[in-house]
Amino acid sequence: MSLVAEAFVSQIAAAEPWPENATLYQQLKGEQILLSDNAASLAVQAFLQMCNLPVKVVCRANAEYMSPSGKVPFIHVGNQVVSELGPIVQFVKAKGHSLSDGLDEVQKAEMKAYMELVNNMLLTAELYLQWCDEATVGEITHARYGSPYPWPLNHILAYQKQWEVKRKMKAIGWGNKTLDQVLEDVDQCCQALSQRLGTQPYFFNKQPTELDALVFGHLYTILTTQLTNDELSEKVKNYSNLLAFCRRIEQHYFEDRGKGSSSIRLP
Amino acid sequence: MAAPLELSCWGGGWGLPSVHSESLVVMAYAKFSGAPLKVNVIDNTWRGSRGDVPVLTSEDNIVSQPAKILNFLRKQKYNADYELSAKQGADTLAYIALLEEKLLPAMLHTFWVESDNYFSVTKPWFASRIPFPLSLILPGRMSKGALNRILLTRGEPPLYHLREVEAQIYRDAKECLNLLSNRLGTSQFFFGDTPSTLDAYVFGFLAPLYKVRFPKVQLQEHLKQLSNLCRFCDDILNSYFRLSLGAFSCVNRNQQQIAFGEVYSHDSTT
Repeated sequence: MSLVAEAFVSQIAAAEPWPENATLYQQLKGEQILLSDNAASLAVQAFLQMCNLPVKVVCRANAEYMSPSGKVPFIHVGNQVVSELGPIVQFVKAKGHSLSDGLDEVQKAEMKAYMELVNNMLLTAELYLQWCDEATVGEITHARYGSPYPWPLNHILAYQKQWEVKRKMKAIGWGNKTLDQVLEDVDQCCQALSQRLGTQPYFFNKQPTELDALVFGHLYTILTTQLTNDELSEKVKNYSNLLAFCRRIEQHYFEDRGKGSSSIRLP
Repeated sequence: MAAPLELSCWGGGWGLPSVHSESLVVMAYAKFSGAPLKVNVIDNTWRGSRGDVPVLTSEDNIVSQPAKILNFLRKQKYNADYELSAKQGADTLAYIALLEEKLLPAMLHTFWVESDNYFSVTKPWFASRIPFPLSLILPGRMSKGALNRILLTRGEPPLYHLREVEAQIYRDAKECLNLLSNRLGTSQFFFGDTPSTLDAYVFGFLAPLYKVRFPKVQLQEHLKQLSNLCRFCDDILNSYFRLSLGAFSCVNRNQQQIAFGEVYSHDSTT
């Protein structure tokens, strides 16, 4: 969006309070949604729960196409549609709710840096695993991605998406990586997150921020999704403070409010 | 440890030992960690590879990307992060990710995609260091690679448009520079008094942006307002990349003078 359009949207956003009927759209939970999209959606849900803003989750097969930027999840609030965690955080801030106001400048810089680390390493690794690892692609991804559509559309869409993701991987230099190198990168990323978290309850001590929501979304999804092998979740399980962190957020923000975000509990 | 390490990378200009970010990151890290590197600047001959620059060659290894080269140097016991705590090591990874996601697209745009900059500065500079006929092909390929990377990581499928993305990437880059400036504050380096990997990366990314003279300079203007980052670059240049006598001008193929540069002594004893 251009600067003018964004300023305009913020002003409209600031004018109305958060409505009761805000909805979050994602793909079909049981059959269609993939690891990376599930992680993103859960991160946004966690963020909104942390801000105490009610939102209803609606599953649609064509959520990806409805989204203004092509990425899920997106929220429909009032008469505005905002997609992806970054813009959603800004939109919510324009409405007057923010989790990171109490941080000073250096802490805000750190928070943004760690969010980029998660996007750069964890999200890219998830995409790699889903779309560039032949075993996973054949057994899980193709079938799930195309499931709402009839033949031959399901195959065409799945191949198209795979080609797109592979192009992106090549452009950022991940095209030649092997699965082991990718898993090592995931391990490095988890190690960094674990060292940063230390023994604190949240990344910036007492209060959760959007970083906590993002990390929770990704780690929880990795831990609870069945893939062809368990190597990815094993990497995360090596770090006990990260497991405790996920459990804590799940209990505090998802069970206490009476909503189960996923039917599978953490082991 | 005694094996001679040779680094082949793009050369310097405008007061820098190298104009290419990744080469500069490796050179800075080598200086910080005391690794004895013999630097082979790519020039107008057929020697040396041009594909995956910078490339480190030791007696039996050829290592190519900056992250891998730094890992290799660390394994050879040239470690600039020795005194960092675990949390600082984690912060290093996070800030490097921030640089790559937020600053790199705008840098690539300024150098390789913005037509005024590309045609008047970048292309002549690189073309003068590549022998004919590769000089007709390689800069164009590098430019397309840069555009591709920007569009695929920031654009929206399936129709990728540069216009929609330009404003956003410059905004992100300016924010990233502000964040770095806030984090650096008044200290000399990012983690205390000795430079580390993060300092090498930040220097490698910022110094070309700071020093190279471009016609279209919005990002450079923003950087120049952040005086602590400028001071950071100048300090590293003065302490680690000492000037030697003599100055020469970079001349491109058509004998037009495009910049003055100073020769650096690439002595391995820091």
